[in-house]
Amino acid sequence: MTGQFLFNNLHVYLFISFFLLCTGILGIIFRRTLIAMLISVELILNGAGLNFVALNRFIAPDNAYGVVFTLFIMGIAAAEAAIALGVILLIFKRFRHIEGGKLEEMKD
Amino acid sequence: MNFPDLIFIAIAAVTMAGAVITVLSRSVIYALMGLVFTMFGIAGLYIYLNSPFLAMMQILIYVGAVTVLIAFAIMLAGPMYRHPAEWSRPMKLIGSIVVALVSFLFLYKALIKTDWLRNGAGEFTITTKEIGRALFDKLMLPFELISLLIVVAIIGAIMLALFSKEEK
Repeated sequence: MTGQFLFNNLHVYLFISFFLLCTGILGIIFRRTLIAMLISVELILNGAGLNFVALNRFIAPDNAYGVVFTLFIMGIAAAEAAIALGVILLIFKRFRHIEGGKLEEMKD
Repeated sequence: MNFPDLIFIAIAAVTMAGAVITVLSRSVIYALMGLVFTMFGIAGLYIYLNSPFLAMMQILIYVGAVTVLIAFAIMLAGPMYRHPAEWSRPMKLIGSIVVALVSFLFLYKALIKTDWLRNGAGEFTITTKEIGRALFDKLMLPFELISLLIVVAIIGAIMLALFSKEEK
């Protein structure tokens, strides 16, 4: 588990993925526009993928399930980005702004 | 300190600095550039984790596709000329930093206290061939469901963009 090199250490990768998760949470709370919130969600998904691959590499190196699930996460992230951008463009067409705090009605 | 560790520390620093730029920059375009830095750094970390195929997929899908999609949305939804204030209330910044720090401390404590399983002492030799075997053999159904999900998402995005009422 703890090798000679720093990059052979599981804790370093998990530290980086926790850092990405927490900066993503900070971004979702702090940013005001919907696009910036979407970018923060992408940060969280990247951290999750790194977590899967690191645990697959160090805990269970005899199968490929972590790598495959990271590929699935990439596909889901692409689909989620497409849908969210469609919704954001729709909101911009109707309300002329994309600030998350000012969206108060869903249907007229 | 040896040479591979220096490169590794540089890649990890690029990843975390990109995440900080993404969250705290005033402009959305700068946030997108920080996200690109983070994605390249994670691709480098995948190479250090002996998964070069995944690093290539990371650069192709995230840096190539998702980033361009978000850039199109930024151009079309136009926060460039409206300048929405991202930094209005400093109390909100303080509160969100407190939330992020508390969750990070909880996770880090769990990371330190957990005794990770040590049965994985073998070498990690997962090649692209074995990834393909796993995708088309045991995980066939989730793979097909992911492709169905992407098709439905693309059709839904087109329907949302085309057949919607204008501003009221």
